[in-house]
Parts: sequence; C-alpha cells; structure tokens
Amino acid sequence: MVKVTYVAADGTRTEVDAAVGSNVMQTALDNDVDGIVGECGGAMMCATCHCYVDEGWTEATGTRRDGEDDMLDCAADEVKPVSRLSCQIKLTEELDGLVVHLPEEQV
Amino acid sequence: MPLAPVDETVAIGDLVRDPYPIYRRMRAETPVVRVPSVKRTFLTKAAHTKMVKDDPVLFSSNDPTTPMEPAFRAHTLMRKDGEEHRRERMAMQKAFTPKVIKTNWAQLYRDITDRYLDRLPRGETVDLYSEVCAPVSARILTHILGLDGASDAEMMRWSQQLIDGAGNFGWDPKLFEITDKANDEMDVHIAACAERLRAEPDDSALSLMVNAADPIPWSQIVANIKIAIGGGINEPRDAMATIVYGLLTNPDQLAEVRRQEAWGAAFEEGIRWVAPIQASSRLVMEDTQIGGVDIPKGDIVMSIQASSNRDEDLFEDGEDYRVFRDKNPHQAFGTGPHHCAGAHIARRTVGEIMMPELFERFPNMSLPDPEAIVWHGFGFRGPLSMPVTLN
Repeated sequence: MVKVTYVAADGTRTEVDAAVGSNVMQTALDNDVDGIVGECGGAMMCATCHCYVDEGWTEATGTRRDGEDDMLDCAADEVKPVSRLSCQIKLTEELDGLVVHLPEEQV
Repeated sequence: MPLAPVDETVAIGDLVRDPYPIYRRMRAETPVVRVPSVKRTFLTKAAHTKMVKDDPVLFSSNDPTTPMEPAFRAHTLMRKDGEEHRRERMAMQKAFTPKVIKTNWAQLYRDITDRYLDRLPRGETVDLYSEVCAPVSARILTHILGLDGASDAEMMRWSQQLIDGAGNFGWDPKLFEITDKANDEMDVHIAACAERLRAEPDDSALSLMVNAADPIPWSQIVANIKIAIGGGINEPRDAMATIVYGLLTNPDQLAEVRRQEAWGAAFEEGIRWVAPIQASSRLVMEDTQIGGVDIPKGDIVMSIQASSNRDEDLFEDGEDYRVFRDKNPHQAFGTGPHHCAGAHIARRTVGEIMMPELFERFPNMSLPDPEAIVWHGFGFRGPLSMPVTLN
C-alpha cells in the first residue's frame, strides 16, 4: 500500500491508502473522495478525472501518456503544465506519499 | 456454471411501455437473464454493465448483427473498437469541449433558447416537448456540427429516421428506403457545408474534421456527422422534458433547486431517473462468466443502463426523482471507450442554459395533468409530450 493525498479546490486534504497497481482516479472512487468523477472508467474518453500533480511530484509521475494531451483539452477547468488525467497515473512504490490537487470543476 | 436463465414472459411491447418494474424484478431475481423476444442477454446490475463497457476487448462494440450499417450507409465509430474508434472520435471531440462552449457558443445558445421561449404565449397550455425541447436541441446541434442552413424540421426528421433505421431489428426494407432518402439529403448538405467551412473555418465539428492537418477519410467524416445528428437531438430533448416533469411533480425540490441554483444536479438526476439511452449491445468475444452464469462467445449482451441507474446497490429510492442525493454515479452517459462524446455539451447546454432559462422565464409553470404524460421507448426513452401551463 502507498499513501495518496487529494487536496480539494477548497483546501480540504484527504489522505488514503492505495493499492500499488491501481491508479489515482480509481483510488479516489474506491475511497469516496469527492472532486473526481472518472465517468469513462479510465478509457481516457471523458476528462472528468483531471488533477494537478503537486509540484514536488511531477518528476515521479512522469510525462503525459499518448493521447492524454488531446483529452485534457476537453477538461472543464483550466489546464496547467502540471495537469494530468488521474486515470493515467498508475500507482507504484515510488509514488508513496503522492499529493494531487483537484480542480473546482470536472463536468 | 449454468447458462443465464431465460425469461420468456417479457415482450418488446412491455419494455417499450414501461420497463422499470421488469428491470426491478430482474435485478432482484435474475440480474443476468436471456430475453428471447429481444435476442439478447440482459445485464441489469450497475457493476455488470460497467464491467462490460469498461472491457472492449472481451465485449466488443463491433456487433455485425445490428441494422446500424445499412441505416447510416456506413460502418460508424459507434460500432468500432480500439485505435480506429479513438482516431475517428478524437477528430471531432474538440468541438465538444466545455471551453469551446463557454468561450464561443454559450451566449449564442442562450440567445437561441430565448428566441424559442419568446414565441410561447403566457397563460396558455403548450407542449414544451415540441415547442422548446426538440427544436432548441436541433438548433444548437446544427451550430455545433457546422450544418448551418438545415432547418429544425430537417434536423429532427433526419435524426428520427436514422434512429428508426438503426433500430430496425425487423429488417423492414421500407425503413431502409426512408433512411436511404435521408442519407441522400444529408450527404448533399454535409458536402455543401464542408465546402463553405474549408473557405471559412470555424469551431464546429465539421470544420475541425475537414480542416484537420491529417483528416480522417471523408466517408468517416460524414458518418461522424450522421452519428451526431442521430444522437444529438433526442437525448437533450428527452432529458429536458424528463427534468421538467421531475421538477414540476416535485415542487419542494424545484424550490430548493432554484434557491441553490442546483440546475446541474437536477440535470444529473433527470438522466439517471430516465436515461435517454437506456440500453446498448456488446458482442462477447470469448467464453466468460458474469454474475455466476456462463456467457458463451458470440452471445450478445445488453447493458441496461436504465436499470443500473436504479440499482438498489447504489441508489436509495432509485425509482424516484430526487435531486439532492449524496452521490449520483449514474451510467446515463455510459462508461468505457464509448462514453458519450456529447456529455460535456449536454451538461452545459441543457443543465446550465436551457433549464435555468426556462424556469426563469416561467417561474409559475405548472403541469396540469402529470398522469396523462405517455412515456415511451426501450432503447431510447422519454415522454412523448410535455404540456405545461405557462405563467
């Protein structure tokens, strides 16, 4: 298990235990974390699991995956350099302690 | 494991009239069940419908036994999987983003909605379904797609004819004659619009596709536009009419929606309660199991999202319209690679523009006879009219 912290747009922090091999979107849904919808189930077709990776974690989470840029254009909120679709961030031991910030709007 | 049980009692007509009591019984007694009258295996639980749609390798959209190909005269992205599907879909997806709507179109859509509301007489009973829900949906879609010049009546007729053709499971040749004629008309209009948009590009879906650096084949550009015509009018129309019904028959909720400006939540609950697209088919690619029964390769399973949206495992009082739910994880837009491409548009146009404009304009609108409303449809479902008294 690894720890992931979701910081809501209003600053509320939710820390959850996540399974290695799961992803940041699914972990949020499994733990009832508000602010991530993930409506397409990780197929990279809806842009409702948009998150901002905390500045300290961008190297560890790596670059956007093929097709992710295009889908991020469909996100409801502002897209920044640290924007990712959280379904595309797979959890590894190296991401233990990961912090992601959530946008105000997903739909 | 055993095969899925068979339900011989369910006729298509029952499903068209009112499927919800049937689905409720199926969820309780036979959640995975073969229905001979529809020649499909019904999946009625949310976990199963989501699992099937999230796994396009095992459950393919490429079901060759549907009448969609003759109806659209094309193999459309709805019936494709993998990279080919993604490429065709992404070719138009950027016309459907929240940013494009917010920055380029929102004011125009408000103006369109206002224009249709302006025509309505106060103090009389009018059919909102035919006077507002349908034509406003058609007019907005015409702009989104770049089909300027097509009338509301043409857009609505083409849409309905494509839907009827795609649902022509009895393979009635007369229905395909009708879709052939509609396809001829659409082909001419789409080609003319494309020529205009090559000269004067805008943010419409057709413009994006024809002016792309690496465009998809013309046949698929046309097919994409037809899919959007077939799928872009009846859903917002039915969603809007359903939400109006839900709110007018629950005045306490309407008051609270107004107070909180919770139109988005009212929209989500409307499409959960009566999903405009109720069911979708997937072809089973390998022998597998769902919910403790064997599902053989070659079987066609039907994801009944209408039922999933009322699944007792996820929703308390799922049979009722209740805007203020803690969570509303409905599957009205589907899930997986075929998640509705128009979801963002529907939420922005119906939820954020059409509903608040309507209720602001007619704050004392009432539904004189809720019992008289006829609901109709198995694959697609909604009310057939929505006569309201405007005040």
